[in-house]
Amino acid sequence: MNIVVCVKRIPKTAEADIFIEKDGRDIKKDHLVFYLNDWDGYAVREAALLKERYGGEVTVITVGPEESKEVLTRCLAMGADRALRVEEPPDLDGHLTAEILSAVIKNQSFDLILTGVQAEDDNAGQVGVELAQMLGLPHAAIVTHIEMTGDKARVRRELEGGIDEVVELKLPAVLTIQTGINEPKYVSLAAILDAEDKEIKDLGTGEIGLSPGKTPDTKTDRVFFPPVTKTAEILKGSPEDVVKQLTEIIKKKKGS
Amino acid sequence: MKTDPKTFVQDYHLNGCIQCGMCTGGCPVKFRSPLNMRRLVRETSSTANPSSLFKRPELWACTTCSTCSLRCPAGVKSVELIMGIRNFLANQGEVPSTIRDALENTLLQGNPWGRFRDRRADWAKDLGVKVLGEEASDTLLYVGCAPSYDPRVQNVSTALVKIFQKAELDFGILGKKESCCGNEIKRMGEQALFKKLSKDNTNLFKKSGIKRIITLSPHCFNAFKNEYPDLAIPVQHYTQVLADLIETGKIKMSKASDVPVTYQDPCFLGKQNLVFDEPRKILTSIPGLKFVEMERTRQRSLCCEGGGGRMWAEGSTEGTRNGEIRIKEALALGAKVMATSCPFCLLTLEDAAKISGMTDRIAVKDISELVAEALEA
Repeated sequence: MNIVVCVKRIPKTAEADIFIEKDGRDIKKDHLVFYLNDWDGYAVREAALLKERYGGEVTVITVGPEESKEVLTRCLAMGADRALRVEEPPDLDGHLTAEILSAVIKNQSFDLILTGVQAEDDNAGQVGVELAQMLGLPHAAIVTHIEMTGDKARVRRELEGGIDEVVELKLPAVLTIQTGINEPKYVSLAAILDAEDKEIKDLGTGEIGLSPGKTPDTKTDRVFFPPVTKTAEILKGSPEDVVKQLTEIIKKKKGS
Repeated sequence: MKTDPKTFVQDYHLNGCIQCGMCTGGCPVKFRSPLNMRRLVRETSSTANPSSLFKRPELWACTTCSTCSLRCPAGVKSVELIMGIRNFLANQGEVPSTIRDALENTLLQGNPWGRFRDRRADWAKDLGVKVLGEEASDTLLYVGCAPSYDPRVQNVSTALVKIFQKAELDFGILGKKESCCGNEIKRMGEQALFKKLSKDNTNLFKKSGIKRIITLSPHCFNAFKNEYPDLAIPVQHYTQVLADLIETGKIKMSKASDVPVTYQDPCFLGKQNLVFDEPRKILTSIPGLKFVEMERTRQRSLCCEGGGGRMWAEGSTEGTRNGEIRIKEALALGAKVMATSCPFCLLTLEDAAKISGMTDRIAVKDISELVAEALEA
């Protein structure tokens, strides 16, 4: 079975100093550490597991700058067979990303297309679902388990409250993958160094039939820090004192 | 760099084994896990398919204290065998999940804790410490990952800075350019990552023009002194430096303590690198301090279980932790303070004191903290 996984290179922002760009439309990223999007890592691992079980090939695709090659190399070390990078246009949103991916994918034959549920930077969660629509394929989002039965995929979707929905889709189909679907395997430095010798194909948007001047339909107007407020109250004293204070607060809020 | 388990017999001199059991007899996790070094050596040397032996969780219980290799009368490289097995497993991605995270974090952020690189020297920002690159010095204080990021161990880093400043010892730190020394990385099996860290660090040290390195942790001390192939810069553990500063009168301790103190010899400082006397010289120089020696002391010091990647390991051991055993031993001596000179001993022993509910009877402190307290006139 042939699987394609769409991946994204994202900056890690936990504990980092965040600065807003002069035009106010994005954060500064030069000093940040970049990595494979967490959800996409689970998707690539899942593709590798499906390949072990059912055979076939795994292709990873990303829309990104030259530096995205690092992320593709990691995916190759994780078991992907082919890697493709499409040079990202100067401005991107989920819809345009999905258009670019669909332009690449529609001319190739795949049984399954995997994406992560969302990306760690914008948390939009749109690309996978829009991609399915553009390709005219069935899809299931927030997938936590995949089983193949003949030419169908039987998957579990994560809903609220601990409930799963079981969905059967005829292949080819698009699935957006939730974290925790599998236990990611360690990718050794030796494996990454070996993967660096593998070929990564670069494509420009012109080469896949998209007009190079294409701009996204949505534009980020402003990025800003949430206002700092002072609504946290720290209770001090011995455990007994704190319990007393806490009980009073809860009673007051409950209105009794 | 492919590891072939079929070469292990040769690489680690397994055929020299006389099955005496000195290794298992001295192993600090013998009673806490099924790990049996004597049997492992025998099995590895007599099987045609060594890799079948390696999918055992107890292989991750080893703390790499090295008691087995140090005591072997036949020159078998037992702890090196464990590290070779872990390397074989790591290259295939077959490591426990928390070890996986520690290794990936180190590649990404330069420390196994996964903390952001740029935050590494935040602990020092108000201490007036030189950062090499911005200012020059002949001496590097190599801080290490736990002393940079762990709040408890940051006290040790701060205490040491205070002492050096009081003694007018000129030094600098690398600041956020500092990356993991790789000692534990190698012990968790990532030889390729260790090679990369050692190469990058060696270049960084050479470029900064330093002539001397002082480490806070015995683990970093061990890596730089014994395992970096091209370093050629003298390395000392801070206890060696403090002992010298005390002897030459550069440190004056006037505040007396009158508390019985015992000392945990860390494996990577003591039994592996034979630095036993300097920590004791320091402690016995603190006015009023009553030094009491534990029974299992110096080479026989009981491993705290912090090494060998155990700081990032979960499970594969059971029963009472060695840390708790050591705290009980110290209490039986009447000690009120357990002194340490290693960040991992500090953390594991302090946790043990907390778990056994003994924090009102014994405090766990680093030697640098004790000296800094005695400095306050």
